[in-house]
Parts: sequence; C-alpha cells; structure tokens
Amino acid sequence: MAKLTVEIVTPEKRILSVQADEAIVPGGLGLFGVRPGHTPFLSLVEPGALTLIDGGRRESFFVAGGFVEVGNDKVLVLADGAEPVSGIDVEDARRRMMEAEQRLKELSPEDARYLVEQATVRREAARMTAASGR
Amino acid sequence: MASLRDIRKRIRSVKNTRQITKAMKMVSAAKLRKAQDAIIAARPYAQMLDQIIADLAARSADEEMAHPLLVARPVRRAEVVVLTSDRGLAGGFNSNVIRRASRFLYEHRALEKVQFSTVGRKGHDYFRQRGQTIRKDFGGLYQRLSYLSAKGVAEELIASFLNGEVDAVYVVYNEFISAISQRVVLTQMLPLQAFGPASAEPVAAPTGALATPGAKAGPASTLVDFKYEPSRQEVLDRLVPQAVSIKLYRALLESVASEHGARMSAMENATSNATDMISSLSLTYNRTRQAVITKELMEIVSGAEALK
Repeated sequence: MAKLTVEIVTPEKRILSVQADEAIVPGGLGLFGVRPGHTPFLSLVEPGALTLIDGGRRESFFVAGGFVEVGNDKVLVLADGAEPVSGIDVEDARRRMMEAEQRLKELSPEDARYLVEQATVRREAARMTAASGR
Repeated sequence: MASLRDIRKRIRSVKNTRQITKAMKMVSAAKLRKAQDAIIAARPYAQMLDQIIADLAARSADEEMAHPLLVARPVRRAEVVVLTSDRGLAGGFNSNVIRRASRFLYEHRALEKVQFSTVGRKGHDYFRQRGQTIRKDFGGLYQRLSYLSAKGVAEELIASFLNGEVDAVYVVYNEFISAISQRVVLTQMLPLQAFGPASAEPVAAPTGALATPGAKAGPASTLVDFKYEPSRQEVLDRLVPQAVSIKLYRALLESVASEHGARMSAMENATSNATDMISSLSLTYNRTRQAVITKELMEIVSGAEALK
C-alpha cells in the first residue's frame, strides 16, 4: 500500500521526515486524519498533538500551530514549534503558562502584547494536554 | 629614551592583550558557526512557506489577495527596528547600522514622527542618548533567540501597524554575506511588499557564501480542487503575519551571524596588530640592550686606558 510522507518543519529546524500509514493532525476545524490518496488541501494547524500511525505503531508530536499542506500523498506541516510528546517538560510548560498568565493580568486587551501572551497561554496549555495523553 | 624595564613591561602588556583578542576570535568563530547553522536550518521552512504562498496566489489569480498588512497607506509615522549587538569590539558592526538608521531619520525628517524599536544594547544606548523616541527596547532577545520570541516581536509591530500607531515599519540590520563581510540593509517590513508569486525572491533568497541549491518542495498539487480549511481567507489571514514573522526572524539570524563574523575579523586584525607591535618592541628592546652593553664596555675600556 502506498505510504504517506510526513514532514514537520519549524523555522528553527526540520523536525522530522518519515513515512507513515496515517497522520492525525489537529486542524483548524478539529482533528482530521490523512491517509494516502487524500484530496489536496491546505489547513491551519492549532496547537495540539499530531499522531502518526505506521504499521500499528503510534507516535505523537506536539505542534505549536501553523499550517499543513496535503497533496500527492505528502503531508507537509509548517509549525511554529514542534517536539516529540515524550520529550515535553511539563513543569517547564506549566511555568511558562503561569508566567504568561501573570503578565496577561497586568495588560489591557488593547495592548499589543495581549494577544502574544494569550497565544502563549493557549500553546502551553495544549502542550500540557498533549503530554498528559502520552 | 625608554628604559629596558619600560619596554619589557610594554611587551608583556601587549602580549596579554594579544592573548585576549586571540581568545575572543576563537569564541566568535565558534559562535559564528552556530549562527550560520541556524540560518541554514531556517531555510527549508522559509522556502516551503514561500511555496505555499506562491501556490495560494497562483490558484487564486482571479481572486484578490486581500489582507490589511498588504495595504500601503500614506506614511506619516514610521517605525525603525534597529538590530545591533549587546557588546562592542565588533569593528564597524554597530556603527554601520546606527549610521544607516540616522540617515533614514535625516531623509525622513519631514515625517510627523519616526520612532525606534531596538534590539541590542548598542543601538538602544545610542538613540536614547540622542533623545530619540524609543517605543520599545527588546533587550535580551539574543539570549533567548527563538522563532517564537521573534514572532512575539513581529506581532507587536503588526499590532501597532494595524491600530494606526505607525504607517510603515522598517528594519535595519547587517546582512550576512560571508564570515568577513557584512552589508547593512534597510528593508520595509510593513506593509508587506511583493506578496504573491513574485515574492519567492525576498524571503527565500539565500545570501552569499551560504547559497546552496535549495531543495525545493515540489508544488504540492495541481491547480484543481484545492480545498482550504477553515476557509481561504482564514488561511491567508494567518499566512501573511507568518511571512512577516519569518522575515524578522531571518533578519535576526543574519544579524547574529554578522555580529560574530565582524567580531571575528576585528579580533583577527587586533591580534595581528599586537604581533606586529610585539616584534617592533622586541627589536627596540634588543637594540637598547645592546646599546647599554656597548656603552658599559666603552666605559670600562676608557677607564682602563686612563689608568695607563
């Protein structure tokens, strides 16, 4: 059977490039699965866990939001950040979330930093959720 | 004439200086390598983002690529983001950027307002001392330089562009050409220019010595039946700011690599100058010593002569 080529690329480095049977991606409208022969499309990616299934083996990655392009049995994930779920430092994520929440309290919603901090809270929360599912 | 002891002291101090500049050169060389790797590592993402943007533009030739960040308006207030380093001893690295930014200020003195954002202490100190408006200093960005921190900065700039605080945002930084050569560039970051099929060049263009034939991600699909989720506009709404963040992130990486390159060659020069100085001082030292010996001999000989 045909296999998918899955690539996860962040601005800092290419995280992975592997073959898999199926990819489950946290898209803009919820999780979606991709198998070989999927119709080409472009979707937003929300912070969350991306799961690869290859011959019954599952492997999960945390992605921090971005885009995914599907086409020609290729899944190309452009993420702001990504790491294997097994490598998540939950304490670190919690600390970053607390700090961002702290700063958020002192900002007004009009402040330029408000959205940035809000995104951090959301991202770190998703990271912790992804870690709890491992 | 300097005494032997003075010259000896001088030689010792220059030798110490040479030791330090040599060490700094080595440190910069190591950091430069890391910075170059980071530039290379950032390339695939930028190329793929470009590809997606180009695909999107190609597929929607008849539809408009409408986004507020692409709309130019008359510029009354401008913001200049100045990327300098936190430390000096890097040759002309900082002064070149500062000079370029000052020239911009002069050229645009007719504007209602030109304000600065600074990354790096050198630029911040300079413009603060001269009483320029510094909207924000992103100090310490270099210590934790990551894409996310660059994105945070970009989002702040985007926000102030969108709420009308500024009408255009420029970045001044050193572009990395090779380990020994940097070029100061001033580019417009907002409103984003040349977005679409023609934009492959500004984002993806690899520079100078680092240029490698980029492994292009092939066009993901044909032009038919392409679906967007949640919608084309929402994807575009996210792609445009992303392109801005990447632009800033790449400028930061270039600036860091340039800084280490500039410091490396500055320290290299300093080391070889110190070596020259030591050899000329040694020559003087030896000559002086010989002169002293000759003088003493003469005194002995003439003393002996007098006794005859």
